[in-house]
Amino acid sequence: MIVSFEQVGLAYEAGVESLKDVNFTLEEGEFRFLTGPSGAGKTSFLKLIYLALKPTRGKMTLFGEDVTNAARESLPPLRRRIGVVFQEFRLLDHLTAFENVALPMKVAGVNQQQYREDVRELLNWVGLGSRLDALPQTLSGGEKQRVALARALVSKPDLILADEPTGNVDPQMGEKIMKLFVELNKLGAAVIVATHDLQLVEALGKKTMRLEGGRLHDEPMPARKRGRAR
Amino acid sequence: MSSVSGIEGSIGETKPDGPVAEKRGRRGQDPLLPRFSRSPLLPEAGAGGAPLTAVIAVISSLACLALAAALVIASAADAWTTELRSSLTVQVKGVDAAEIAQRVEAAQAILSNAPGVIDFEVLSSKEAGKLLEPWLGKGNADSLNVPALIELKLSEEGRKNIAALSRQLESVAPGLSLDDHGGWNDRLASAARSGQALTFAIFALIMGAASAISIFAARAGLSANAEVVSLLHLVGATDGFIADQVQRRFTIIGLRGSIIGLAAALFMLSLFAMATRARGADGFLLPGLTIGPGLALPLLAVPIAICLVTAVAARQTVLQTLRDTY
Repeated sequence: MIVSFEQVGLAYEAGVESLKDVNFTLEEGEFRFLTGPSGAGKTSFLKLIYLALKPTRGKMTLFGEDVTNAARESLPPLRRRIGVVFQEFRLLDHLTAFENVALPMKVAGVNQQQYREDVRELLNWVGLGSRLDALPQTLSGGEKQRVALARALVSKPDLILADEPTGNVDPQMGEKIMKLFVELNKLGAAVIVATHDLQLVEALGKKTMRLEGGRLHDEPMPARKRGRAR
Repeated sequence: MSSVSGIEGSIGETKPDGPVAEKRGRRGQDPLLPRFSRSPLLPEAGAGGAPLTAVIAVISSLACLALAAALVIASAADAWTTELRSSLTVQVKGVDAAEIAQRVEAAQAILSNAPGVIDFEVLSSKEAGKLLEPWLGKGNADSLNVPALIELKLSEEGRKNIAALSRQLESVAPGLSLDDHGGWNDRLASAARSGQALTFAIFALIMGAASAISIFAARAGLSANAEVVSLLHLVGATDGFIADQVQRRFTIIGLRGSIIGLAAALFMLSLFAMATRARGADGFLLPGLTIGPGLALPLLAVPIAICLVTAVAARQTVLQTLRDTY
């Protein structure tokens, strides 16, 4: 099992829970969409999984390890198995596109000779092969999104989390990115994509969860529509 | 594409590789390697940069001056006490000038053959009396039978045999008094020890200030780089990895600042040494103040010490601060 939540709650302030009694499991190779209105707690839900926040109650396991009360020292290796595409990109402004993408490898202590070609290839693949030395502030929103995507994929993670990955790109690129997640999922990575784009969700016909008022509900499997995301 | 993701095709809009391939071809090497190696993961602004370098330079300069003062005091005290320890003053008394002269002559005969006596100089009763003329008036000291003085230079062996020498001299010149300058020597040594302790205390305080500044700067740096640190954590960085980055940064800043400080201190010391020599005071007040290896080499340890203090203080601060995060 990749992720499991048992009666998980998350409160930013005492008494006010933004996530309530969340029960959820994600098996290896599963693909889930996460939908819900703004402020429903989608980002908080993902933050719990990528270990940016700690649940205030309940039990949570990640890659089979109980992380609810885990020692801090045990978290970095788990975080390295997760690739995150953040809603606001979170690129480091003083690093180039190449350096931003290579960051997880550098942090993991991988020799530059080993990952240099992979990083270059990924950036080529997202169409930024000519902008390896570009700083984030010189990139457009879509380009930043693609750098963030390449960074999330460079370490070949077991779990990919994407928070509104199509929010800053045109519909065509959005479709390509979503299809990419589906392809990565086919290769074995578990994927959770939080999105507002219900059209894309329907087009891909994947299992969907809905967060509303801090509570998680399974949505009925959408009938796969023919159209935009072919 | 792609061996990285294993997925065919590309989501990119632009044709990959062209400009990069051209660049690589032109330079004959991959331009990415040095580019990435140069970039620190923590940006300059947060971790200190120029202001911290300037503060470290001032601190280093003060530390060098304090250490130089300690070394000069030690050197001067050593010179003074060695000088005093190797000399001895003998007062030869008598009922009249003739007796004093006779006893001096007998003492001279003993001293000429005594082991450990390197040299001696006699100041006769008359000459000693002349030294009192400024206070007693011309010719007034003649009737006082001022004792004759014999100034001895002793070797280390001679110092050990002072008692025996004293007994020999006493046999030919009864009632002589022998002054080994012990009182002066003790007072000088005590003053030198106090001076050294004071300068070392100042040196330690300065090192403490360097440490405090590093702690403050490391906290400020972490705070200013909270987003970077958070992202590093999220991509799997350990506390040790982040502390390494900060430590590396502070080592560079510490080294840069302390070398500037050392250069400034050496410049100031050179000016002081030149000024001392120009006033003709060299060899009297501060005999050790020459910018030679004896002074410069210990001062070279100051940048290393400051680097260590700043780097270790910054690392411990970072580790302590990160411990409080998730």
